[in-house]
Amino acid sequence: MTQPITQPMTTGQSAPVRTVGPDHVARRLPGPLTALRWEVRKLRAQYRARAVLLVAVLAPVAIVVVIHGQSRPPKDTLFGRFAIDNGFALSLLVLGFASQWVLPLLTAIVAGDVFASEDQHGTWKTVLTRSTSRSRLFWAKTITAGAFATLVLVLLAVSTIASSWMIVGHQPLIGLSGQTIPAGTALQLVAASWAMMLPPMLAFTCLAILLSVWSRNPAVGIAAPVVLAMVMQLVGALGGVEAIRPFLVTTSFEAWHGLLTEPRFSGPLIEGLLVSGGWCVASLATAFVLLRRRDITGG
Amino acid sequence: MNDILAVDAQGVTKTYGSLRAVDDISVRVAAGEVYGVLGPNGAGKTTFLRMLFGLIRPDAGTIRVFGKTWEDSGVRVLDGVAGFIESPRFYPYLTGRQNLEGLALLDGGTPTGLLEEVLDVVEMSERADQKVGGYSYGMRQRLGVAASLLREPRLLVLDEPANGLDPAGIRDMRALVKRLAGRGLTVLLSSHDMEEVEEICDNVTIMTRGTVAFHGTIAQLRTMAPDPGHVLATTDDVRALKLAENRFAITVARDPGAALIVTGPPTEVSSYVGSLVSADIGLLALTPTRTPLEALFFMLTDDPTHQSLDRPAQLQDTLR
Repeated sequence: MTQPITQPMTTGQSAPVRTVGPDHVARRLPGPLTALRWEVRKLRAQYRARAVLLVAVLAPVAIVVVIHGQSRPPKDTLFGRFAIDNGFALSLLVLGFASQWVLPLLTAIVAGDVFASEDQHGTWKTVLTRSTSRSRLFWAKTITAGAFATLVLVLLAVSTIASSWMIVGHQPLIGLSGQTIPAGTALQLVAASWAMMLPPMLAFTCLAILLSVWSRNPAVGIAAPVVLAMVMQLVGALGGVEAIRPFLVTTSFEAWHGLLTEPRFSGPLIEGLLVSGGWCVASLATAFVLLRRRDITGG
Repeated sequence: MNDILAVDAQGVTKTYGSLRAVDDISVRVAAGEVYGVLGPNGAGKTTFLRMLFGLIRPDAGTIRVFGKTWEDSGVRVLDGVAGFIESPRFYPYLTGRQNLEGLALLDGGTPTGLLEEVLDVVEMSERADQKVGGYSYGMRQRLGVAASLLREPRLLVLDEPANGLDPAGIRDMRALVKRLAGRGLTVLLSSHDMEEVEEICDNVTIMTRGTVAFHGTIAQLRTMAPDPGHVLATTDDVRALKLAENRFAITVARDPGAALIVTGPPTEVSSYVGSLVSADIGLLALTPTRTPLEALFFMLTDDPTHQSLDRPAQLQDTLR
């Protein structure tokens, strides 16, 4: 198939180079996972992504050390009363704080950038003139952003729980109904509570993806989800908005409360799953249509 | 030679709001030829090439590439097609080699050793492991050519490939395109430089304001080109003008910058200059205004800043 084609650009030099002639046959299409491999490879090369992972591991340790070293506990926050002498309570305190805006920020740093950075670097025309379709690139980027969000949450959770356990201790936990939860069960419930952050976090990931596609601006893609999270928190705290409160993504961040009451209730968990899923589907469907229909004129 | 056209664009139109960026143009590029799309900035060349690559959807018309359309074949329409639009762009935080490896991945892989070979061709082997963020414009342009060759193309589409290159870079780029064409590759080249197209291309489409102003071979274009013009500076322009009155094969006129512009066949211009010397009129300068093809290009594209003083109206009628 191949034959010599040309020499180096500069005249007077030669090198054995090959390429195709007019009888070239159709090249093979890349497999479904090649675009995903490319996205992961790019992500691994970015300092920003590595920095986020590092923060997810180290920041909880620092926070645990600082709170544990305080003489007075932050009593006005959920589980704050027991935070300085109960590792499970401190894990849940960090969880409550993270769900305010930290989780939306950490996921948006990648998800809000993953599409817009192609505009920033002018590389849409580079990748879309290869043999991979827009649809494949869209799903590769979406899966990469979702996987990154999951990894960040896992690292944050493991680091928080482990450092709280080791530094503060693992005494039985006092639940939200005043019940005493044995250490073994408390560990499972704290881990489950962290796991329940995943659906709303993925919803914010998808929202960041939509903003990234729509705005074509990494700054908007990263900052806007954080601002939206704060606005949702504010709206959720207002009176007279009971009808819309369940549909806010941030409400899903509170679904874990049901695990720590006696008796436990799972309604908010199911509601949170449905709401987060709804936000994911709506955001991704809109982003997909926007990207498919878009004229690539820049770069 | 293959019977299927490399590019067969028919009635292609693209509108942005009230602006018709490309207005009902048709371009046919046979396999194996080097085809130029020429026009001033804003003529619609890049919009046309973006539509060919599927980056932009045309509002009307069809573009077939080796017989395939985007509607029928999706991304497979780009099988055997490579190139770049405007300046090639890469990921600045990756090295040149990593960029090429990634792009090869998106192509479904490349034969062993080809990556090194294309790096050799563009003489980037030694800089391939540096991050693209530190590359000069010319280096990125070379990497763009390497990325294109990596696809082992049958059709190479280059949008103003010499843009931003120094004279040596321009010479090397043109030499490379010629060598590629010599190996049977179809080359579709857009440019705003008549000299470049004249040097490289067999056929040309000249575009202006989204429409086709001329379509044909370079040889045809040459036959339509006006006589060459020269800027003439003498010690006595009044007498020089008077001496030209009886010479019907040439035109001598005073341009707004007060110099004389002499237009006519080279032999007649030479004879006229000789008569000036014989008449003891000092010759201070005789410089060509532009090549005949350049003059024709400016006429066709109707660029008011490049209007020729000796623009023949009948030529315009012939061309249109």
